[in-house]
Amino acid sequence: MIENGEALLEGRHVTKRFGGLVAVNNIDFVVRQGEMVGLIGPNGSGKTTLFDCLSRVQPIDEGQVLFKGIDITAKKPHQVAHLGMARTFQVIRVYRKLTVLENLLVSRQWRGESLFGQLTRANVDLEDRARELIEFVALSHLVDSPAGTLSGGQRRLLEIGMALMPDPDLLLLDEAASGVNPTLVETIKDRIRVLNQDHGKTFLLVEHDMRFISDLCSRVYVLNYGERLAEGTPAEVMKSEAVIEAYFGA
Amino acid sequence: MTTDTLSPMRSTMPRWRIGLMALVIASLFAMPLLRDQVDWITNSRLFSFTQMFMLVALASNWNLTGGFTGYVDFGHAVFFGIGAYGTGVLMHNGWEFPPALIAGAIFAAVYALIVGYPTLRLKGPYFSIAMLGTFVAVREIVRVWKGVTGGGVGLTLPPYLNRVAFYYYTLAFALFVVAIMWWIRRSEFGASLIAIREDEIGAEMRGINTTVQKMTAFIVAGFLSGVVGGMWAYQNTFIDPDIVFIESRTIELVMMTMLGGLGTVLGPVLGAATIYWMRDVVWASFLDYHLIVEGLLLILIVLFIPRGIVGMFGDRSGTSLGELWGKWLGKSPPEET
Repeated sequence: MIENGEALLEGRHVTKRFGGLVAVNNIDFVVRQGEMVGLIGPNGSGKTTLFDCLSRVQPIDEGQVLFKGIDITAKKPHQVAHLGMARTFQVIRVYRKLTVLENLLVSRQWRGESLFGQLTRANVDLEDRARELIEFVALSHLVDSPAGTLSGGQRRLLEIGMALMPDPDLLLLDEAASGVNPTLVETIKDRIRVLNQDHGKTFLLVEHDMRFISDLCSRVYVLNYGERLAEGTPAEVMKSEAVIEAYFGA
Repeated sequence: MTTDTLSPMRSTMPRWRIGLMALVIASLFAMPLLRDQVDWITNSRLFSFTQMFMLVALASNWNLTGGFTGYVDFGHAVFFGIGAYGTGVLMHNGWEFPPALIAGAIFAAVYALIVGYPTLRLKGPYFSIAMLGTFVAVREIVRVWKGVTGGGVGLTLPPYLNRVAFYYYTLAFALFVVAIMWWIRRSEFGASLIAIREDEIGAEMRGINTTVQKMTAFIVAGFLSGVVGGMWAYQNTFIDPDIVFIESRTIELVMMTMLGGLGTVLGPVLGAATIYWMRDVVWASFLDYHLIVEGLLLILIVLFIPRGIVGMFGDRSGTSLGELWGKWLGKSPPEET
């Protein structure tokens, strides 16, 4: 059991290359239990690549990633999910043909159950939890609508609900406010706060919207050209000359 | 739109549909008993039904990997072939039919395990073509492995000409297969397959061991099609590579499933029954051109009823070839409206 303030996710000298391009270069970082940490940077700075490395979508070339003190560098994405890490994607990944409820049901906890167990239990067993989460992400009125018919913002909310379904300890949200109307952005922020403060969930957020980050996060990492440019509170990094230069030029 | 049509994972079937299905099944079981009373029920007709039951089972098995999991297999008839040859070779060497049938199906399942591990890493059309390649390779191995398979000359099996018994075997097995598919579709295992079909990376990220789930579906489908192959071999009493390993057999399975409804439980049943009777009754008039007619029909299905018969009646739980392949061919499926 990880106590508040202890390292939940830790990256040591994480490096990722695509051919000759170093997308993430020797990055150290830590996300502690109970924190909300932001990851920001200009376009192409390596934020999503780092996210992919942490959640094992992309293998890393050098370094080490630890989650709950366990080395997950060589683990497969589903094994990382079993340990309690969930994520959303920059390009929303929901099951478009399935209804909102079914999307949640399919995103349940899959922890190496036997085929017999999977075959003998109908997928309705977790319906109560799925409905609670649908209400939590304010999609109750769309419970039986196919995910493909939802707006971009509603899909973002659905994706967050799906990430919550297995009751993870750490949520990695990749541009959760991107392409979402201001009202829904406020809903998303509110839900994230509730999850952090009332349910003890830890968050790592990739975001372009600095207001979104500064409203939620206590600490921010700034990336530029795959390197760690700054770290500190949102107010500190926004005053940093290096950060201003990276965003707006000299 | 009702919840039922959208939610096969948790739907309960309407009573009228259960009643209709019970009536059809009861009629099928009663048919051989009424041979003496009804002129239409002849031995030849019972044989035709036997063939249709086997196609229903094969199309349902194909649908497990092609429709539920989204891996369109253009070489699925290889499992039928291995089952047929496994059963045939063992019976040729003195085995009884039941153990030979089970052994043949196990051979097919083992082959699915060996071939599935590398090929299921391929996506979209690449997987389809790879499976077609393995199908051709196995046919050639059977052709040159004369000492065991009889090569191009083939093998003769002990005759068993009780058509009524075979009618009941194949009917019972087709019902068994459809029941398994229905069970899988509403289970958590089935849900994981649909998740893989819809977004494999997302499914993996959400904790589904996609390799194990895909392999399991592939092996189950291989085993069940191996059983059909064994039944067919015994009924036919003769096997050779050219009548067992026919490319068009897989194409027919694809066509039947697409006509009925890809990714639905009833789709392959309706599709297999429709195409079998169309071929048997109508296409007899176009003997020389029936493959051309098959090809045209496939094109028409893709263009005009991509979600098949079941989809035409409002069931949106299935999918279409365009949706399955669109993402790999650079075309996103249209937004649901």
